Amino acid sequence: MASFHVSAPPTAEEAVRELASGAPGEVAVLAGGTDLLLDLDEGRARPARLVSLRNLPWRTVVWDGAELVVGSTLPLRALETVAGLGERHPALFEAVRAVGGVALRHRATLGGNLGRSAPASDLLPVLLALDAEVDLVGPGGARSLPVDRFLRASRETALGRGELIRAVRLPEPRPSAYLWQRVRPANDISQLSVAAAYSPSDRRWRVALGGVPPRPVLVPEASTPLDGPAPSPAAVAAGARRIAEHPALVSDRRASDEYRRGLVGVLYTRCVRAAARRAGAAA
Amino acid sequence: MTGDGARITVNGRTAPITEVPGDERLLDTVRWRLGLKGTKEGCRTGECGACTVLIDGQTALSCLTLTREIEGRAVTTIEGIPDAPFGRAVLDAFAEAGAFQCGYCTPGFVVALAGLLREEGRSAPLRQLLEELGANLCRCTGYAAIARAVELARARGP
Repeated sequence: MASFHVSAPPTAEEAVRELASGAPGEVAVLAGGTDLLLDLDEGRARPARLVSLRNLPWRTVVWDGAELVVGSTLPLRALETVAGLGERHPALFEAVRAVGGVALRHRATLGGNLGRSAPASDLLPVLLALDAEVDLVGPGGARSLPVDRFLRASRETALGRGELIRAVRLPEPRPSAYLWQRVRPANDISQLSVAAAYSPSDRRWRVALGGVPPRPVLVPEASTPLDGPAPSPAAVAAGARRIAEHPALVSDRRASDEYRRGLVGVLYTRCVRAAARRAGAAA
Repeated sequence: MTGDGARITVNGRTAPITEVPGDERLLDTVRWRLGLKGTKEGCRTGECGACTVLIDGQTALSCLTLTREIEGRAVTTIEGIPDAPFGRAVLDAFAEAGAFQCGYCTPGFVVALAGLLREEGRSAPLRQLLEELGANLCRCTGYAAIARAVELARARGP
């Protein structure tokens, strides 16, 4: 492993300045480090400097009765233990619980999952299905992006030079569910996953695919057949057929295209049914 | 980053970390700098749990923790577990259940279980504790005895 220097600026302004002063690849952001440190060990990234976010006041979570705002450096374990999370955002609760073990979740963060944009991230498909907004701060000031526009490809995001993720906002509680498949449940990464959420405000479903390259994606053609909070078996079957045709279901080192195409309909059907049960319970 | 009086506490004793480079892992600091060899290196990628320690009472993977990132905080390794909440109960439970074969994964399991019991209490469902210990691997596959130790420790309390 190449050696690097770590700084831990006390303010966001300073962190942005330090980040912006480095060439891409020369400087990297350190949040929980659970993913970045593996890249450094393997030599996949060789930054000379890391800017640690540990001193920034972003380990926050605010629930105002409608919107949930999660600070980017809040450890996932702290998010998981927020009272009521499992009732209001069940898919997010399930996705957080799917990440590593408790010890890993004491360090891993939502901001890190977004900034690192790993195709197998359990959080990203759920953030897509919940219409999360990503709040950024950078040399040009603050801006917000829908997560679908924030994510670009594996390890590629809309983050500009010197920009940091400050928080993630979820606009409303949604009956939702998240299901995944892996070789070993406890400490592997997902080969394939599905998130489904029903929005009570626009009465539409969002379905997202995870564990696929180059990044988790929304699958509108699998949500349009779903007619209302309690979709009919025929509607779910139609959605399952459509999602199996998605071009992201390819072969890579985690799974074959054949395996993924065979599995996706099962995950989708169970996921939509679980979310619909929760929609029924909420109504 | 050096010469600034930075320190951590390890098992109740202050350890200066001013000489620790920014890229050093807590695992290497406790094993090689402090000579506490109870904490084991397994996969070094956060998948096996062998290197689990407590930081301010919470479980953490020392292989994925940069020592300088936890400046000012309190670390408990397996050597300090007898004095930690649930530590003695977990050690006794592992001994009583014979919950080890080669023993390499044991420090990680013991620290992880003590941390879980402290966070979730004895009322946590047994199934949940076992599920959460799923992130610790025993390559001898001595899981039945480990599960029995979890049951015993939970029944015993801090």
